[in-house]
Amino acid sequence: MKLFESEHYFNYPWDQVTAANWQKYPNELSTHVVSVDILNRSIDVDNKTLRTERLIGCKQAIPNWLSFIVGGQKLSYVREVSEVDLINNTLVLKSHNLTMNHILLVNETVIYKPDPQLKSRTIFTQSAEITAYAAITRICDKLEEWSVERFGQNAKTGKLAFEGVLDTLSTKWEESGVFVSDVLKDFNNDLTEKTSDVLSEVSKLGLFKLNSSSSNSSSSTLPSSVSSSPSSSH
Amino acid sequence: MSVSFAPECTDAKTKYDDCFNKWYTEKFLKGKSLENECTEFWDSYITCVNSALAKQSVNPMLEKAREDQPFTSEEIRASAGTSKK
Repeated sequence: MKLFESEHYFNYPWDQVTAANWQKYPNELSTHVVSVDILNRSIDVDNKTLRTERLIGCKQAIPNWLSFIVGGQKLSYVREVSEVDLINNTLVLKSHNLTMNHILLVNETVIYKPDPQLKSRTIFTQSAEITAYAAITRICDKLEEWSVERFGQNAKTGKLAFEGVLDTLSTKWEESGVFVSDVLKDFNNDLTEKTSDVLSEVSKLGLFKLNSSSSNSSSSTLPSSVSSSPSSSH
Repeated sequence: MSVSFAPECTDAKTKYDDCFNKWYTEKFLKGKSLENECTEFWDSYITCVNSALAKQSVNPMLEKAREDQPFTSEEIRASAGTSKK
């Protein structure tokens, strides 16, 4: 198992950040997130906490030759459980992939809290545990290392994009008095989405390695497209 | 707003999302309401989603995930460092 951790500050108040969390999709940059559904939502009155379970659907960018492993599914799904705690002012999101989790399981936790030093700022902490399941340890290690690296690259871009979106949102808020917006085109801070990126790419790498190591067949039997550059991720 | 995984539920979802977002920003965050005020929209949306889910292959995966990792409030509070004594 490998860990990915990162911390970041957003120069927007916590409440705005949490409102933005419900309104990220669709947006132009996250085209592979195709659906978001709320499966459960409840309020714990005593703890002033709103709990939500969501199902996020992503386009599966996997090559045809791999589709037998996931039963020919074109979509992958991520489950996310979040809690907005108004007493402690925390938003915690925990998520994991439902699809292909026998190959790779990404367990992610994201926390948003107001910065105690500066209330107009929000601290963002992200951690992900990435576990690859495969028969050969050496390959698992490589797969995990590669996934962590990839996750980090994606996370970086996501944060930058989130800044832009919060800017749009806060301007709208000032104009209208509320921060509900249906024009959040730049929103691209979804970890779920990064999980999906990692998965779709790891799936290529994963089976490529497994195939070439677990049997005597040469890797040249794989279509050349397998090792081509990653899909439209960012 | 984003679409539902089941196309037939998207209309109901949009109505529910609109209601929810308004409630969330204007009431919940301001401490004015701890009561779900969108139950009418929620009921028709979730009925649609549940019946669509029952037909989909994602359902067993979801059930298993809930069992393996419930992500309980206790776990969530532990992550946030706000666990109660």
